[in-house]
Amino acid sequence: MTFSLKRVVAIFEKDIKDLSKNMFVLTSMLMPLPLAILFGSVSKEPSIQMHYLVINMAFALVAAFVQCALIAEEKEKNTLRGLMLSPASTFEILSGKSLLSIVLTVITIVISALLTGYHPANFFIVALAIFISIFFYIALGTLLGLLTKSIMEASVITLPVMLLFGLGSFLQALTAEYPQLSFVEYLPNIQLELLATEVQNGVGITDVWSQLAVIAVWVVSACILVVVTYKKRAIDE
Amino acid sequence: MENIIEVKSLQKMFANQTALEDVNFHVRKGEIFGFLGPSGSGKTTTIKILTDQLFPTDGIANVFGVPSIMLRKKGYRKKFGVLTDNSGLYERLTVYDNLKLYCQLYDVSFKRITEVLAMVNLQPEQKIVVSKLSRGMLQRVMLARTFLHEPELLFLDEPTSSLDPVNSKHIHDGLRQLNAKGTTIFLTTHDMNEAELLCHRVAFLNKGKVQLLDEPQKLRRKFSDSTMTVELTDGRKIILHNDLEGSKELYTYMSTGQMASIYSNEPTLGDIFVEVTGRKLV
Repeated sequence: MTFSLKRVVAIFEKDIKDLSKNMFVLTSMLMPLPLAILFGSVSKEPSIQMHYLVINMAFALVAAFVQCALIAEEKEKNTLRGLMLSPASTFEILSGKSLLSIVLTVITIVISALLTGYHPANFFIVALAIFISIFFYIALGTLLGLLTKSIMEASVITLPVMLLFGLGSFLQALTAEYPQLSFVEYLPNIQLELLATEVQNGVGITDVWSQLAVIAVWVVSACILVVVTYKKRAIDE
Repeated sequence: MENIIEVKSLQKMFANQTALEDVNFHVRKGEIFGFLGPSGSGKTTTIKILTDQLFPTDGIANVFGVPSIMLRKKGYRKKFGVLTDNSGLYERLTVYDNLKLYCQLYDVSFKRITEVLAMVNLQPEQKIVVSKLSRGMLQRVMLARTFLHEPELLFLDEPTSSLDPVNSKHIHDGLRQLNAKGTTIFLTTHDMNEAELLCHRVAFLNKGKVQLLDEPQKLRRKFSDSTMTVELTDGRKIILHNDLEGSKELYTYMSTGQMASIYSNEPTLGDIFVEVTGRKLV
């Protein structure tokens, strides 16, 4: 299989040009920031839960929601078919279409962390876990975008997903009362928060490999679903 | 001559509805092939099957000698271009930026943008944002994008349907230029004049079947009643048969200076379509 970075960059470049005129994406990207400012101002040392409420919101709103909207718009305007019929491979198109959301998510998370004053005890482990998590949310957004036909539909379909992955830690508090919700402990956002807590307590990478593995399983599963759905969407029903 | 498209017993069902029943035809390399039929006759479905956007229910649909499903292999993508009803443009980008993206995807020099925009008569509009273009202009930008990589085979689904006569002529000239350079063109249209002007051969598609296939001129001759109409100077119209009797009568009108004009009564492709299918082309 050949891979053309030129094609990936071409799609990314196109999305960057489009971004300055895309108010929908720009406003979604800014949404986690007021929360970060609030948490940063109310407490001198916000808890890990507070930091990760903002970070998970950035995942849900920027990585998942923006990505979903970008893909849904390509479908709504019939431009995705043009890409699919071009010599660009599935991997090149999906990579190109994900780059903007990845960059925006990283920027939002970095600004949010600066605003809330988050200083991880081990930057490398936390950065690695956040970076792997971004791929899950990007894949989730891509999947939802492929399943919808318009931006309007995408806005509706992402709501429950944003609640589950953005505010999953609230659901975790309910697991004692509702055991059927115990699955939330394995959600990538909960695993990331758990990992961050452990890291803050001073553990090394060997002690958090299980959390990293669970997040990686979510990434791989989501990527497989994306590729299968993408191939199906390349053919009209 | 080598066939670039081969379709045999092609069938396509949507739920319980038959879109294509038993379609058979081939397209020769280097020709402009017209696929004519009224709306809903299966023209777009055929293009989508031939360009790997739709699976056939049954039958053979070969393009470049391989089943159309193989066109998703990278090497084939550069060999064809397609314009259908599900083609779209990036509305917030300029005409130039839209084409630039496709230059990068197809590994084509940016210089080609100027050439294709000239072909569709849109050079002055290249810096305009696509959302500000009229429907006809959008159609022309999409056409320009289709030509960009100078494909071996071009699938065009009603390419001039929303264009005025001047711009249609520009497109027709552009298509002839491409064809002269060796591009095979598969053109669907319900515009019979367009088909007569451009196509080397035409197929009439009706109710999911190819009803007739031949060169436009041969079809007109085949369906002609071998008569001509002579308009006389006194306003009368006389129908003459193409035989000895008719030629004698014609000679008389000519030699006595009574003849004002003469024309053949060959049917148009539209007339032939109605005769064969009993349907009008809409």
